[in-house]
Amino acid sequence: MKQIKPVLLLLFIALFALAACGSPAEEPTAVPEPTEEPTEAPVEEPTEAPVEEPTAEPEEEATAVPEPTAEPTEEPTPELRTENLEGETIIFYHFGDLSGPYAAITSPLIHGMEDAVAELNANGGIRGATVEIQFADDGGSVDEAVAIYDRFTSEDDNPLIMFTYGSGEAEALTSRFAEDEIPSLTSGLSAVAFYGEGSGYTFGLGSIYPDQFGAFLDYAVANWDEIKPDSAGDEIKLAYLSWSGAFGQGALTDETRAYAEELGVEIVIEELYDLAPTADTTTALLNAQAAGANVIWTNTLAFGPAALMNGIGALGLQGEFVLAGDNWAMDLATYAFVSDPALTVGMYAPLSYLWWNDVDHPGVQQAEAMFAANERSMTEHGVGYLVLAAAVDVAAQAIENAIDEVGFDALTGVDVQYALTNMGPYEGLQGVLSLDFSDGSRSPHSGQIRQIQGGPDAFNVVQDFTDTPDLRPAK
Amino acid sequence: MAIMRPSGDFDRSYKQDMTVIRQRWQYILLIMTLLALYTLPMYASEATVSLINRIGIAIIAVQGLNILTGYTGQISLGQAAFMTVGGYTSTLLMTRMGLNFFAALPIAALTAGLIGLLFGLPSLRVKGFYLVMATLSAQFIIPWVTRTLWQDTLNGAQGLIVPVPVINLPVIANQCFLSTTFNAETAQCAYRFATPSQFIYITLTVLIFTTIITHNISRSRLGRAFISVRDNDLAAELLGINPFAYKLRAFFLASVYAGIAGALLASNLRHINSATVGLNDSVLLLGMLIVGGLGTSVGPIFGAALVTLLEEIAVVLTPLVITVAPDLAGGATAALRPLIFGLALMLFLIFEPRGMAYRWNLIKAGWRLRPFAK
Amino acid sequence: MNWQLLPQFAITGFLNGGPIALIALGIVLIFKSSEIFNFSQGQMLLIGTLSTWWFWAEEGLGLPLWAAIILGLTVSAILGLLIERLTLRPMTGQPLLSIILMTLALSQFLQGMAILTFGTTQRNFPAIFEVTSPYKISLPFFTYNNNPMMLILKQNLVWSFGVAMLCVILLWAFFQYTRTGLSMRATAEDHETAQSVGIRINHIFGISWALAGIIGTVGGILIATASGLDLSLPIVVLAAFPAVLLGGLESIPGAVIGSLLIGLTQGLVALPNNDFILGAEAAQVIRSSSEIIPYIILLIVLVIRPDGLFGQKRIERI
Repeated sequence: MKQIKPVLLLLFIALFALAACGSPAEEPTAVPEPTEEPTEAPVEEPTEAPVEEPTAEPEEEATAVPEPTAEPTEEPTPELRTENLEGETIIFYHFGDLSGPYAAITSPLIHGMEDAVAELNANGGIRGATVEIQFADDGGSVDEAVAIYDRFTSEDDNPLIMFTYGSGEAEALTSRFAEDEIPSLTSGLSAVAFYGEGSGYTFGLGSIYPDQFGAFLDYAVANWDEIKPDSAGDEIKLAYLSWSGAFGQGALTDETRAYAEELGVEIVIEELYDLAPTADTTTALLNAQAAGANVIWTNTLAFGPAALMNGIGALGLQGEFVLAGDNWAMDLATYAFVSDPALTVGMYAPLSYLWWNDVDHPGVQQAEAMFAANERSMTEHGVGYLVLAAAVDVAAQAIENAIDEVGFDALTGVDVQYALTNMGPYEGLQGVLSLDFSDGSRSPHSGQIRQIQGGPDAFNVVQDFTDTPDLRPAK
Repeated sequence: MAIMRPSGDFDRSYKQDMTVIRQRWQYILLIMTLLALYTLPMYASEATVSLINRIGIAIIAVQGLNILTGYTGQISLGQAAFMTVGGYTSTLLMTRMGLNFFAALPIAALTAGLIGLLFGLPSLRVKGFYLVMATLSAQFIIPWVTRTLWQDTLNGAQGLIVPVPVINLPVIANQCFLSTTFNAETAQCAYRFATPSQFIYITLTVLIFTTIITHNISRSRLGRAFISVRDNDLAAELLGINPFAYKLRAFFLASVYAGIAGALLASNLRHINSATVGLNDSVLLLGMLIVGGLGTSVGPIFGAALVTLLEEIAVVLTPLVITVAPDLAGGATAALRPLIFGLALMLFLIFEPRGMAYRWNLIKAGWRLRPFAK
Repeated sequence: MNWQLLPQFAITGFLNGGPIALIALGIVLIFKSSEIFNFSQGQMLLIGTLSTWWFWAEEGLGLPLWAAIILGLTVSAILGLLIERLTLRPMTGQPLLSIILMTLALSQFLQGMAILTFGTTQRNFPAIFEVTSPYKISLPFFTYNNNPMMLILKQNLVWSFGVAMLCVILLWAFFQYTRTGLSMRATAEDHETAQSVGIRINHIFGISWALAGIIGTVGGILIATASGLDLSLPIVVLAAFPAVLLGGLESIPGAVIGSLLIGLTQGLVALPNNDFILGAEAAQVIRSSSEIIPYIILLIVLVIRPDGLFGQKRIERI
């Protein structure tokens, strides 16, 4: 033992030296960063250095955003950059959960994306370039999502856009997206992922859950006399019955609590139930009833709202509560888990996109035609398909704008991010999903309130598009 | 098995007898291997480096389990729970106390060790299967605590965002060397271990330390005491070894290793919550130990590598399975992973319960006895 | 405290223990005969329940429900026999760790098989009992704020409990009156003695695994009919493990009583509300502890009385 000690010590020193020498080798991967100087650049005046480093300080993000504008000024002839890119490919990286708890809602996401991309390619792709999808299933595990992210970034040193689905991985990956400068569109509408520390490259396909919650509270307060249960008084008493986890607890933040108080809505009880179809909501519901609740908010999806609906049905509590949930709760996926479809009737949710029953809308018609042409099964006629089809349109437009700006050869994620934030209000899929990522907003801020008034085809509008309260977290 | 040595390798002193690395070529081999690992980011893809990284972290957790289960014979289904403790502790130390990762790591390891000790206490009362159940309860209670109690600090089920480990170096001649970047807050150059090919230096270095320590535990008094408790606790007691004290030490050490692995994992993922590691991971770690070989120094390395690679094979096989059974589009990976792991573990249990380490020794002996052994 | 909900939650929890008891019984059966603690019980019942669904569903065979259930139970019996013969028989005489890991490996393997065979899609399990219109019982002697207390009981909860208890009685009769049952008891008593009177204990091991598969699947079906069928069904065994230890590993009545007690405590922890003595936050913590309360009980049992309520006293050096 004694003999090997000095040797090991030497070894460690040698290894550290090696490790240090080893790292410059990564520089080739760092080079494609558009405007940044190589990281070894001399720090002449320490006070200047941070400006060059967008990741050094989160507060600097706002100043870091205009960076790409530096590039167009070098060659101020954007229209010349629009070339025919036939033969080139652009890859959309897509994370999904096909085998974990969110499978019910994310499997239609994939087909929506596939069909939209196929249609996009049939119509000439993005300026002639063909779009390909790289999909990976992470089974709902953040651990796995990070491994997939490493795989994606190792296969491609210049990814232009990624699509994620859940709050958990959106939150875990958000700092990586910002550091590696890869814009991402996500269906996981966590406030932390969009506005938390180190964010900036993650954009939402719907309003964040606190905004949704706030929007519903606004609606409930304004229309309480019409929507209130017969047994309820004038006061809105809310029960937050949901899953644990980033998604389930996503709508309950300091901001939403304060907002509810401001509106005079009392959150009388918070209950958790299992993230599984076998969850028993009996105690949660009876406790809510005992606490005097007359409104239930659930931040769940598929079997989440279904567990509450089944519980309300089985306990004979119909008409005791106004049930409301996040946008994913109002979806076809819920119907696979309710013991009787009639139990879904009456649920409210704020939706920031249109629904399949807006049959007169050209965008919805386009999605419907796509759905029919690809002979998709009716079990996928839900939110995932519609939203992803629109998201593909948004991503394609952003990349197209970026290409027009800097050309295809110089195109990086930074340019796409810049294009996304500078598109102004954009109507994805002719308005199925309207997004506006300007002024530091990374999620939509308006929505309709809809109510289930029949089957999945009767998610009817009870309040048209209005601005949601802005309840994004204070930094 | 008798120690088989090449001819000409004799012990002339006690010191020489205790040497781990005996021959010049062994040194060379060791240095070459370490060199190959440390220079990995130069020639391997980011995905490979990320894989090696994950294997490295798993090895550390399995090494701890090896002390507890392999040497001391106490079965634990709670290793992943103690990883959670380590991950949360290091994160809180970094975010709340402003400690550097490298200062937080040992404290996180100790905290996990102490919590492990707590759940090891039932070992004073029960053993065997009952102890398995006690450690299983740790696997449920600890994640529940992290998502239910002290929500202001632990942020409930949402968990915490974990900062990237950073080394601060002084600014020399107004320049930052060695791929570091300037940090205005500390007026120092910072090296951030952000990507897998940066993080791997931490994993490898910690792994070398834990490997040396585990190997030396196994051949010191402590290790021999562990083994005596495992093989015959009555005899151990007669020899003056207090089985209870040693069982608790084993629990403590195992959890320290788990704490280290958990802290590394959290920083590597940059995110930790109660679901980051769970019961499945505890089973996976035990499986790695069995596949690699209980109570051997190389076992954890073999086991963690093989099982992690098998999981990767599941990913590779997925497209194939989908072409055979298109209905399974999403479920293929989810189906193949447990299937392959379960099958491999069952085959090892039936046909090679002594694990790959034993096979490895047979190969080595066969090589040395050549041409007399086949 | 929500005192008015006390009888409600106590009885709901107690009744919830019914299906858990069936699963726990499966574990006890196997342990009694062969001293193997079966960690793969959850996956066995998952496959049994999924097969039942497949025999019934239109995508599958489309049989009437009763036929589907019979076939599903047959599948789980065969599965149990196969598992015993192929994986546990070769492990005879191996140390405890190997056997524990074998059943853990099996649980992983079977989970993979279930996904591979049946896919990840969600399934609507047929409702056996009425899903709406619960039984409302007003308690005769208890009042709260001068209102008579009401019990609201879901129909499937009540009936599931009834079916579970019927199975327990059938099982008891099987052990009491049939030749096979008696030889199983003999085997549980002592392997060598049983062999000396001509019992083929290998057969007995097989039968106990088959039986465990069957009653586990009955439990699985009862749970699936109440709340749908999904690949996460095996998590129900996590409540059964502590129940088995609480009752005592070898005791059949112990497993039943243990499960009902576990169900009862899970119901009771939901009681504290905002007026709780320790404050609203503590109340919330206690309410959310229903998933770990079985394991806290488990730890207490292990420290105070490792043999459980009805288990065999073992004098063993630790």
